[in-house]
Amino acid sequence: MAEALYRANVLVCGGTGCSASKSKDVVDALGAELEKRGLQDEIRVVHTGCRGFCAQGPVMIIYPDGIFYCQVQASDVPNLVEETLLKGRVVPRLAYKEPTSHEAVPFYHDVPFYGKQVRITLRNCGLIDPESIDEYIARDGYAGLSRALSEMTPDQVIEEVKRSGLRGRGGAGFLTGLKWEFCRKAKGDVKYVICNADEGDPGAFMDRSILEGDPHSVIEGMTIASYAMGAHEGYIYCRAEYPLAIKRAKLAIEQCHEYGLLGDNILGSGHSFYLHLKEGAGAFVCGEETALMASIEGRRGEPRPRPPFPAVSGLWGQPSNINNVKSYANSPQILLHGAEWFNSIGTKKSPGTAIFALTGKVNNTGLVEVPMGITLGEIIFDIGGGVPNGKKFKAVQTGGPLGGCLGTESLNTPVDFDSLKEIGAVMGSGGMIVVDEDTCMVEFAKFFLEFATAESCGKCVPCRVGGRRLLDVLTRITEGQGTMEDLTTIKELAAGMENNSLCALGQLTPGPVKAALRYFYDEFEAHILDKHCPAGVCKDLVRAPCTNACPAGVDVPSYVTLISQGKYAEALAIHRQRNPFALVCGRVCPAFCEHRCRRGELDEPIAIRQLKRFMADQEIKNPWTPERVEEMKNKKVAVVGGGPAGLTAALRLAQWGYKVTVFEAAPVAGGWMALGIPEYRLPRDVLQAEIDSIKRAGVEIVLNTSLGKDFTLPELMDKMGFSAVVLAIGAHSSRRLGVPGEDLDGVIHATVFLKDVALGKPASIKGKRVAVVGGGNSAIDAARTALRLGAKEVHVVYRRTKAEMPAQELEVHEAEEEGIQFHFLTNPIRVVGETKVTGLELQPQELGEFDKSGRRRPVPIEGSGYVMDMDIVIPAIGQSPDRSCMNGDSPDANRDGTFKVGRELETSRPGVFAAGDAVLGPATVIQAVAQGNQAALTVDAYLQGGNPVSKEAWLAYRTQEAAWNPEDFASAKRPAMPVQAADRRGHNFGEVEQGFAAEVACNEAKRCLRCDLEREKQMAQDAREAAEAAEVAEA
Amino acid sequence: MVMVNLVINGRKISAPAGSTVLQAATQANIKIPTLCDHPALGSIGACRMCLVEIKGQRTLQPSCTFPITEGMEVQTHSTGVVDARRFVLELLLSDHPLDCMTCDSTGSCELQDLMYEYGVKQTRFPGEQHAYPVDDPNPFIQRDYNKCILCRRCVRACQEINGAEAIGMVWRGFRSKPGTAFDGKLEDSNCEFCGMCVEVCPTGALLGKQVLGQGRAWQLTKTQSTCPYCGVGCQLDLYARDNKVVKVTSHWGAPPNQGSTCVKGRFGLDYVNHPDRLTQPLIKKDGKFEPASWDEALNLVAERLADTKQKYGGDSIAVLSSSKCTNEENYILQKFTRAVLETNNVDHCARL
Repeated sequence: MAEALYRANVLVCGGTGCSASKSKDVVDALGAELEKRGLQDEIRVVHTGCRGFCAQGPVMIIYPDGIFYCQVQASDVPNLVEETLLKGRVVPRLAYKEPTSHEAVPFYHDVPFYGKQVRITLRNCGLIDPESIDEYIARDGYAGLSRALSEMTPDQVIEEVKRSGLRGRGGAGFLTGLKWEFCRKAKGDVKYVICNADEGDPGAFMDRSILEGDPHSVIEGMTIASYAMGAHEGYIYCRAEYPLAIKRAKLAIEQCHEYGLLGDNILGSGHSFYLHLKEGAGAFVCGEETALMASIEGRRGEPRPRPPFPAVSGLWGQPSNINNVKSYANSPQILLHGAEWFNSIGTKKSPGTAIFALTGKVNNTGLVEVPMGITLGEIIFDIGGGVPNGKKFKAVQTGGPLGGCLGTESLNTPVDFDSLKEIGAVMGSGGMIVVDEDTCMVEFAKFFLEFATAESCGKCVPCRVGGRRLLDVLTRITEGQGTMEDLTTIKELAAGMENNSLCALGQLTPGPVKAALRYFYDEFEAHILDKHCPAGVCKDLVRAPCTNACPAGVDVPSYVTLISQGKYAEALAIHRQRNPFALVCGRVCPAFCEHRCRRGELDEPIAIRQLKRFMADQEIKNPWTPERVEEMKNKKVAVVGGGPAGLTAALRLAQWGYKVTVFEAAPVAGGWMALGIPEYRLPRDVLQAEIDSIKRAGVEIVLNTSLGKDFTLPELMDKMGFSAVVLAIGAHSSRRLGVPGEDLDGVIHATVFLKDVALGKPASIKGKRVAVVGGGNSAIDAARTALRLGAKEVHVVYRRTKAEMPAQELEVHEAEEEGIQFHFLTNPIRVVGETKVTGLELQPQELGEFDKSGRRRPVPIEGSGYVMDMDIVIPAIGQSPDRSCMNGDSPDANRDGTFKVGRELETSRPGVFAAGDAVLGPATVIQAVAQGNQAALTVDAYLQGGNPVSKEAWLAYRTQEAAWNPEDFASAKRPAMPVQAADRRGHNFGEVEQGFAAEVACNEAKRCLRCDLEREKQMAQDAREAAEAAEVAEA
Repeated sequence: MVMVNLVINGRKISAPAGSTVLQAATQANIKIPTLCDHPALGSIGACRMCLVEIKGQRTLQPSCTFPITEGMEVQTHSTGVVDARRFVLELLLSDHPLDCMTCDSTGSCELQDLMYEYGVKQTRFPGEQHAYPVDDPNPFIQRDYNKCILCRRCVRACQEINGAEAIGMVWRGFRSKPGTAFDGKLEDSNCEFCGMCVEVCPTGALLGKQVLGQGRAWQLTKTQSTCPYCGVGCQLDLYARDNKVVKVTSHWGAPPNQGSTCVKGRFGLDYVNHPDRLTQPLIKKDGKFEPASWDEALNLVAERLADTKQKYGGDSIAVLSSSKCTNEENYILQKFTRAVLETNNVDHCARL
């Protein structure tokens, strides 16, 4: 029968994802619309299997043009038929939008998600009607089988599969051809071919998609295998949760019987093969081959020890071969195109492709098939489109719940069986779950452990009890009850389970925990030692996401609440308990708190920083005098450096009764706050007000006195009678560019440039062309300052892209508004000039491999340099502490010049402690404050011997009642901060931000969701339930 | 018989082809510790106590299931193996009540013996323990799953020896335990209370209720005996304390029962020490039973039988025999009935 020729084919994805987003409605609507317009004989609609791009479902491709539409709804159909099918125009609204640029990508072959994919196993998925055997045959279906049966002996078939190098796609990667050979050689008249479609990994759905989208490929593969092994009966073991896969596989089996492709004497070859479909009840462990066979036999699905291996004694004691869906689906292609074709794809040891279910915090979730050897970074960033909402990539879990997580350092790892195994992860069945900075890796590991222990069959002791104990330990850690010994226990349990468990489930259960411990050790330490969950997830440790995100742990919900009630002084008191610099931070803090604010998940975060500024500004007329909370002690402490870390440490120690002297080299106190941060962000009188408060606590600040010149470290301790010293010397040494010409006149490092401006002796910039090199806050500060000093042009040269800039987004945005020009992916290679700078030679860069920070490393594009005329070059590419003044008295330092300190900030010299940028490298005020607090606690403990309890009580959080109904503020919006107009502010040093009015601030404070109260309520409820449960157990 | 040569702990031995490593070792008097293994039951490799090091194998292997091959080299007590066993024991200990002081199994507990052998005094892995109620209301078997180590011997005995299949494994993971369908009570299941589960239980999880508090292993004297309940002649081991039978176990390795026992033999011998039990013949005199000697009693019976036969003929007498008697006794009784009493009125309780 001649098929009608259609003018266009509309392929609508009918995979599970698209079905869930109502692709069937779209198909029906298309049918009706085409009929209405009499186009049903011209245009054909095919409801296909999975296209993979589930995040964008329902997806549709219209051939012959290859127009790609996504998120198509039935209501879009009339317009779509009219525009595209009748008039031949693309409907831009339905086209795929690139996630960062939001540009429409109308054609399938241009969509980056598909760009790097190579579809072999999934070649028919999304292309043919999975319920039509004819369409499968039309795509060379059963040609591989036909070749095997008519041209090859069973041994030749096995030889071909062996030569192809196909490795088991279930995850273990055993050579498929070899497995077939074992079964072929096994003694026995009755043999079984079994397909493992018990896909139990959460988030993995590749086997499902194949059975739903191209079931015949599996049947053909199994039939080839049956011929190769001399088996006449087979089973597809598919979990009952996959009704569509079961329906389509059963239909395909029926069709094969009709066509003589199953049953007796297949294609006249004399070979017979009968195939059954067995539904599994959904136990994860039934993916293990011996458990799977037990389940087919009707017994409890549990593994048994091997030997005997299934190839010798499998289903009902007969030789059996079990392969994964994907392994069978690959086989017909190998038989058809030959082993050489197959092993030309992928890597030498892992030929072919791998399919991953890409899920989690990634823009393009879905099913992707890639050649083996592609890097993790390419899958996540090029195909997956990176992490949504500008969050940072943290880790990817490969291999499902028994796999392992890998961090940024693994992004360049090629994806194949052996490379993944080497770095502590597994290929597994191909789940790939991406997580961002909001995920706690301890909790993440615990989540998988909960799954694995719940799915343990309970047969062997190591898995049954060991898994549970591992979970017990992780639970303790996430609840803040962990100890460092627990980490040893984890390792012992993991080793015991790996070595002694009966099956792979038990052996691999510790995988995620081990990987998390290997790559995210610091998070475990934070939970145990600091009782802090860096990601803000573990509810026992997280008072509120904002407080948790604040390096100094400032009690945000409490002061925000008090602001809403007009109790500014009380609010400030709470703030200053942990951060004395409210006026400063209200202006310059990057507000880590806002980044995590839960309200931000609904609309926009609370304007915490601006509320803080408002609160602090109310006080300027009635300045704060810090209270002394302990008796005077007869001990002297020296603080070297009058920046935020030094001053905070000094303040705390003074409050606790120590006599504190701060030695500051500059003529002003404040460190980088005074010498680096420009006045348009932080007016000097505001800073001075805050420093004056600290002085009122009894802190003596000695200016113009520098370490090395006026005194030495040993002198402080021996001659000058200080019992302890806090080194808070900042990071004032600027990193050199390392290019020719950088010592020419006109090259001024940002540290020097900004300091000179701050001290009233600015470099002459007026009318000049200025290039700032770097992408951090100092670079932006220098650029905006140069503009205000009257520079003709200001350029910022940064070697990566805007997305990778470490500077605050707001700062970059404001700088752009002011007319500063940014040159991304550009790096200086030479400063041009004879004696003075006349230009800067730049070289364009492209992004290459990933570095440790998870960002792509810029790689120069050779031979593409050009010179930009410049008068001034300001390098701002990094800072480190200047320890040259210490003349060999310095405590041990790290390679980057920062002091080597313990967790309590103690240095290698007794009685000497370090804090702030001198430890962290260039950081923020709030991070310096946090270190100042810690240094003070450590000094106090050092001088008193032991950590006095009084501090804990003093620092304890006290919950404030909410005095408003949050529902009333459900639709309130975050107010915009009034700012000086961009065209004006570029020319003066007046403050850019103007501050909130009282009413605006009070209302904004009431947008706070008070997560702290919610948590208290929940914890009280948990405690009640636990008590009730204990009572029941006792009774 | 085809023999296979292998080396265990450096000793060359040979064992029949098809043996497991454990069987070969046992035969050569090399002791490998076990918990889930039982000679009368199929091997499942679950408890991981019998793990051994086999040259060429990536991980330790359970000797109870691993078949021997020619030239195989096995280490049964290498450091790695001993560490593995200790790991398993520590895990078991972490979920086991430490009430050995009052546990009836003390002295006959295989878990206790292994803890002692491997010097496991405490666990590195403390954590949540099970708190199952011990409340199955049946008259025979106490089920205390807090002491269960999930060796599944009970389940296999129930399936493989008795065939009742009253219990199987229920739930999964740490929650898994032996249980009846829907984890209910034994009385509501197929259970015949043969007690084979109690017989094979290595710990105090399953105990005969009558045995509780009656004495520990070392306080009891064992006597092999024949079950008095029927003619099969099952061999039992009776445990007596102060001349009182307190416990019955199967006697393994002897015909006719080869270790198998039914509910009567195991749980029905409490009548032995019952105060109402007849210990000597009684003769009714003046409406009251009076103690008599065997001669008196037998003479009286013989006299009366002869009398009755003479007066009313043999058919006036009927004889009913008991299945508690042996075949030989039953044979003699019917012979006596037909040849001496001259009647065919003879029958047997088993027909009722």
